[in-house]
Amino acid sequence: MKFRALLTSTREGIQGIIRHPLVTLASFTTILLMLLLMSVFLLFSANARYITKRVAQQPPIEVYMKLESTQAERDVVISYLDQNNQWIIEYEQRTPEQNYLWFRENLGESASILDNFDYMTYLPYTFHIRLIDPSYADEFGMNMRAIPGVNKVLIESRVMDFLSMTGRWVNIGTFVAFSVLLLIAMFIISNMVRISVYSRSAEISIMKFVGATSGYIRLPYIIEGLFVGMVSAVGAWAIAYFTYQQVFDIMMANVNATSFYALLPIQSLSHWVMIMCLVTGMLIGGLGSAVSVRKYVKV
Amino acid sequence: MIRFEDVYKTYKTGTDALRGVSFKIEDGDFVFIIGKSGSGKSTIMKLITREERPTKGYVLVDRFPISKMHNALVPVLRRQIGMIFQDFRLIESKSVFENVAFAGEIVGMSPKKLSQMVGIVLSIVGLSHKANAMPLELSGGEQQRIAIARAMINDPKLIVADEPTGNLDPQTSESIMALLEQINRNGTTVIVCTHDSNLVDRMKKRVIEVDNGIIVRDECASGYCATPPPEDKISIIQAVSKPSFPNGEDERPAVKLEDI
Ligand SMILES: Nc1ncnc2c1ncn2[C@@H]1O[C@H](COP(=O)(O)OP(=O)(O)OP(=O)(O)O)[C@@H](O)[C@H]1O
Ligand SMILES: [Mg+2]
Repeated sequence: MKFRALLTSTREGIQGIIRHPLVTLASFTTILLMLLLMSVFLLFSANARYITKRVAQQPPIEVYMKLESTQAERDVVISYLDQNNQWIIEYEQRTPEQNYLWFRENLGESASILDNFDYMTYLPYTFHIRLIDPSYADEFGMNMRAIPGVNKVLIESRVMDFLSMTGRWVNIGTFVAFSVLLLIAMFIISNMVRISVYSRSAEISIMKFVGATSGYIRLPYIIEGLFVGMVSAVGAWAIAYFTYQQVFDIMMANVNATSFYALLPIQSLSHWVMIMCLVTGMLIGGLGSAVSVRKYVKV
Repeated sequence: MIRFEDVYKTYKTGTDALRGVSFKIEDGDFVFIIGKSGSGKSTIMKLITREERPTKGYVLVDRFPISKMHNALVPVLRRQIGMIFQDFRLIESKSVFENVAFAGEIVGMSPKKLSQMVGIVLSIVGLSHKANAMPLELSGGEQQRIAIARAMINDPKLIVADEPTGNLDPQTSESIMALLEQINRNGTTVIVCTHDSNLVDRMKKRVIEVDNGIIVRDECASGYCATPPPEDKISIIQAVSKPSFPNGEDERPAVKLEDI
């Protein structure tokens, strides 16, 4: 019996959508915009997290010793690093020869120009350090610079800074835009429900006097909202999917997939985005109509 | 059973529609409520169906205390009441069958039982052959009979009809009344509001007349009256249920038959 009521309500709800195509379209568009915004945000933050993680895995701090640095000075650096190992994931000392080989390797085919390179004269000893907490990098670098024999300290945190700063702004911007759109969506859904209710007011008054429960009367509108939310979710997901794929193709055209800055492929994100869109869209659509239909349909 | 006890109804606009109304209607009664326009007839009906709540006083319909019942129970109450209106209130976009079935569908009747019941009630009102017609293809009398069929589909204990013949010619009105009387003979309580005094006179049923929110006549034609004078009932109810309204304002004398 409950099932039959659900079936009737679903039919009525979908008829409501067809009866008021313009209002439905308005709700659909607003929810779609919201979900699109949310999808962009999700895609952005997934990539930001991914890149941050990869960058963090790289040695963000490189310490260059002076060319004329002594073994004793290098030992001071090593003992400093050992004393502060609670901050450090790992560190590595590279000799001029190792640096030379690494350099050659990176040059690839044109490495032969380095054949007669006197690396002991031109290349320093270096230390490559990975910190547990990147925010400690500045203080750490200052301490390192104070050690005699240290020439310079490079902190590779610009990418991180950029990511964390844009991340903050994206968070704020998304939150504000999402809230504004949420308000608009609620307003439009409320009007969608109102128009639906008014156009069926005669029928609703008849339902009331033959003893329909409020739930039974309200259900079609809630289903209508759920349905609009669901269709919006699929739409937003599809737009996000294809747009992201385009962006991915353009940005990744010259970038190796294993590079630090590689984006995540859409396939690994689309399920997540789809689920979030569906849940949010149906929540907004269903809850929006449930709240407003309570206002318009009373026993 | 329906019991009104010193019922007041003041609308939000400040209109005093009812000013101390008391009566009792037993199960199986047929009662007319008459009175001038604006006297409060429809207000009485709306209190019975809990479309409105009394401002003061006590209304009991079957086991439902109208003044204090929970909203969630309102549909339960209304399923036991069949309502009929002057303007029929059929859904124009649904066929006759669908209009009648609609009321059964809402209470969750199975499709099989539903089509069986629709068949029965349509044959009672004599319109089985119009099952597939649309409401606007029917005459007013036929539409009202469809509305009566709809009111009967859930086998109500009570039928309330607010001016059911208001839009119909005398002959059709007569046949609608005959139909309601037939329904009443099978045990259903029927309450009819009407302006039509000729009709009321011919039917020889109990008549409650309201004027300006007060009952000015409650009499039984041809000795037919299931209700003894109202004073007894009030004291019994008050002893049993202790109504929540302040007793201090109860000094208004109940309307007596001698007042008329
Ligand atoms: N919803 C309402 N809000 C405010 N006043 C109302 C409302 N319904 C009825 N009234 C007022 O209450 C009084 C009684 O109205 P009611 O509808 O009960 O009269 P009635 O006897 O049914 O009249 P009629 O024969 O014209 O149908 C009238 O003065 C009317 O204007
Ligand atoms: Mg009236």
